[in-house]
Amino acid sequence: MALQTLEFEFKSANTQSISKEWSHHGVTGSGDMECLMEKKDLGGGVKAKVVTPVKGFDKVWEKMIGKFVADTGVGNVSIEINDDNATPIVVYMRLRQALAEATAKEAE
Amino acid sequence: MEYKGITREWDTLKKDTLARKKDAEQFVREGKIVDAKDAVALLETVIKPFDKVNIEGNNQKQADFLAKCLCQVDAKKVHDLHMVQSVLTLPEHLDVFEKGIAKKLDMSFSGPQAGRIAEFLKEGKLELGAIHTYLELYGRYFVDLTPRVALIAATMADKEGNLFTGFSTEDSPAIIEATKFRQGIVIAQVNEVVDKLPRIDIPADWVDYVIQSPKPFYIEPLFTRDPAMITDSQVLRGMMAIKGIYGEYQVESMNHGIGFDTAAIELLLPTYGEQLGLRGKICKNFILNPHPSLIPAIECGWVESVHCFGGELGMEDYVAARSDIFFVGPDGSMRSNRAFSQVAGHYAVDMFIGGTLQIDPYGNSSTATATRVAGFGGAPNMGCDPKGRRHSSGAWLKVGEEYGMGSEMWGPVHRGKRLVVQLQETFREKLAPGFVERLDAFDLAKNANLPIEPVMIYGDDLTHIVTEEGIAYLHKCRNMEERTAAIRGVAGFTEVGLKADPDQTRKLRELGIIKTAADLDIDVSKATRNMLAAKNVHDLVVWSKGLYNPPAKFRNW
Amino acid sequence: MKSWNELENSSFFDANARERALGMVDKGTFTEFLGPHDRFTSPHLPVLGTAVEFDDGTVCGVGLIGKHPVFVVSMEGKFIGGAIGEVNGAKMVETIHLARKVAKEIQEKHPDDYAERRPLVAISFETGGVRLHEANAGLLAHAEVMDAIQDARHIIPVVAVVGSKVGCFGGMGFVAAATDVIIMSQEGRIGLTGPEVIEQEMGKDEFDASDKALVYRTTGGKQKYIVGDCNYLVEDKIGDFHNALADVVTIPMDEIEKMRRIGSQKLVKEQQELVQLVADLQPGDSMDLWKHFGNEDPAALPNMTTADFLKVVKRRVRP
Repeated sequence: MALQTLEFEFKSANTQSISKEWSHHGVTGSGDMECLMEKKDLGGGVKAKVVTPVKGFDKVWEKMIGKFVADTGVGNVSIEINDDNATPIVVYMRLRQALAEATAKEAE
Repeated sequence: MEYKGITREWDTLKKDTLARKKDAEQFVREGKIVDAKDAVALLETVIKPFDKVNIEGNNQKQADFLAKCLCQVDAKKVHDLHMVQSVLTLPEHLDVFEKGIAKKLDMSFSGPQAGRIAEFLKEGKLELGAIHTYLELYGRYFVDLTPRVALIAATMADKEGNLFTGFSTEDSPAIIEATKFRQGIVIAQVNEVVDKLPRIDIPADWVDYVIQSPKPFYIEPLFTRDPAMITDSQVLRGMMAIKGIYGEYQVESMNHGIGFDTAAIELLLPTYGEQLGLRGKICKNFILNPHPSLIPAIECGWVESVHCFGGELGMEDYVAARSDIFFVGPDGSMRSNRAFSQVAGHYAVDMFIGGTLQIDPYGNSSTATATRVAGFGGAPNMGCDPKGRRHSSGAWLKVGEEYGMGSEMWGPVHRGKRLVVQLQETFREKLAPGFVERLDAFDLAKNANLPIEPVMIYGDDLTHIVTEEGIAYLHKCRNMEERTAAIRGVAGFTEVGLKADPDQTRKLRELGIIKTAADLDIDVSKATRNMLAAKNVHDLVVWSKGLYNPPAKFRNW
Repeated sequence: MKSWNELENSSFFDANARERALGMVDKGTFTEFLGPHDRFTSPHLPVLGTAVEFDDGTVCGVGLIGKHPVFVVSMEGKFIGGAIGEVNGAKMVETIHLARKVAKEIQEKHPDDYAERRPLVAISFETGGVRLHEANAGLLAHAEVMDAIQDARHIIPVVAVVGSKVGCFGGMGFVAAATDVIIMSQEGRIGLTGPEVIEQEMGKDEFDASDKALVYRTTGGKQKYIVGDCNYLVEDKIGDFHNALADVVTIPMDEIEKMRRIGSQKLVKEQQELVQLVADLQPGDSMDLWKHFGNEDPAALPNMTTADFLKVVKRRVRP
């Protein structure tokens, strides 16, 4: 019944972090999620914390975030996710959008 | 040798019909008009036990009043009917079985009543002949499932019994022709009786009785997709499909499925399609209901023609004002025709693109669930490679040329292949997987005692799967092993996808059998709703210059 | 996120809570209170297995319109229907209190040009009312917000801004009614009982919730504008709401008081007269009422653009 918290760590060859100290993206709507990215010295690695009502998808979460880290080569970032039944593509897109925002120069 | 013919009467059907009509004379008021209050008595008089009876209805218009009346006949007088009809969507369509009025069923699609059909089958309340595609069932109307009595729906009639079916002509011509020309009885419920019809769609001598129904026939705006509900992930798949399939094969003619995925594609044509310079090269000829989401593409000059299975509520005026594009009668209103549209969708278009619930590692796809007998509608006729096709086109030839099993299966002959495309998110809402090792269709076949699994689109006909992970160009595969690997390669984190071998997936990408969004040079973070030409129903009204008149349920103003 | 310039031209209806908060005030002036980085989530939802949000579904903060500090509360309808619980309720209450305290300080510091600096509270409602998961705390929050609005009365304008998907229903419908000024778009809706609940209780013949056009004719911005329940009707653009607020910041408090619909004996009487009118008229549809107020062709009003509507509409004349 209760929400569950999943924590993962990923090694990343790249140490290229985000440009902002922290950045937030998305809304925890039904079938959606929000994501908080924060610059952190993790020796190049990525830390992820997922809070979700969905059970039984621990491995899938690890693979999804792992794919995002591998595809983007992001490092030294902590990622926190509040999820409400987001599908894998929604997770991937939100992470990509969050990263795009976290690395963007201040918008005009 | 001497041949002896049999001795029999050769016009028993005609005599029987005349006798039934004589008994029913008492109910006829003027011309062919029967009052609504006499409808049940009329049905009790002209329908006999064991008759084959058709109630017109599909996923659009419904002869709902006559369906209700059929439920009220005395089951002692009228029983053991064999219902032959396209669609079972109204509760009354199954109530006739519950009440012992009907016994056997041959149908095509059931939608909301799918669960009840499965129950009735189990309880022995219903005997199922077969589940057909629309064209198959229309075909059998002219072979061994000819209705003795047809209960049909028309928009207007005159007193002589001429019918105007207009925008919502749909199945009427096919049913009426089969019934009337084998001496059957045609009863029409109409919304209105008028002195002069805008045009005659069905001549009076094909119609026996006309009843003005207390309420206009029920019609569901089933093909209206509110752009506000389209998700970013649908936009992404739409962009991938436009670039990787529509553009790649320069597909000019097609049928689109009913879902939000294809609505997204329609709304991406004026934006993303335009950016890719594809206007005039793709999406020229549609076999499609008048989708409101197609309005922006039409207004931007993409579309040359659209022929429709049926109408769509609210699109009447828009369609009438675009007679270069739609099939509009001399009176100025469109005529749909499901039988012709299905024939066109089967033989004359180069691509079918739609969505499904489940795809297995062989590429078979099905919308069946274990406890619902939902049927097919028209999808299998469009979602297949029509073996009778003999005309060629660029897109069709290109798929044929790329066909990986061509030399093995076809020898030296030049052939083409229809594009059959499934747009599939690896997980749907509530994380239901879109790829499974074994289709629920197997369980349904067992539960409902069906001789074959109700598979919507067979794997060997499927040419492309589009998921957020990539496009699998299945027709390029050289054997089943490669096909399965390609399917697994785009199946993401489902049980099917988790079995993918990353090395093999990489190899398939090198061969161009799998293309990811990155391979197609599509920036995932830019695939958002901002790409849509219309973001809500009101935008569609504006695009239509006020001609589209959306039903109340889609208005937020 | 979109830039401020993009936001000004974006649909208010489609915008999320943070986009609305940023765009309702001047460029680059918004500072958020207890934003996502503070991770101030609901303590009740995890126990019940319901997903949480870092800002608990409400964005609060302060920005400027000219020299006027504008204290913003912006609700997120996508998160549990924008429902109000303990944390987001408290954020809302404290934001209003803070605005009042700041008003006092500014008045002391800038007695000469206070009129140019008088603060304002703008609440962008997108909510169905109480968050059922934390019902008692949510109800309490409603009561506290009412008190806070009452405390701010005659001191600073409290403005309801309504034009989002979920509309403003349930207990928050009362709260919106208790504000000084209401700004709506035609897409905005204010009511007490939501359409689905009315249908469930009274039957489809009484109120068909799937008939969205009917729902909008009954609770939408145009109806509210005609009967005088809202003061401004604007286009569905964040910038247009911003402009309306920029108008309100300049209005003297005694004029603001006259824009209220409830809150005095005189206004109670006015409301009772309206109730009497409806009882006499027995309208079958809002359009009957529109006709009564002098709109000859009421059926044409829903389809008009806001600009055309404002040109021709006849409103109830307030006594």
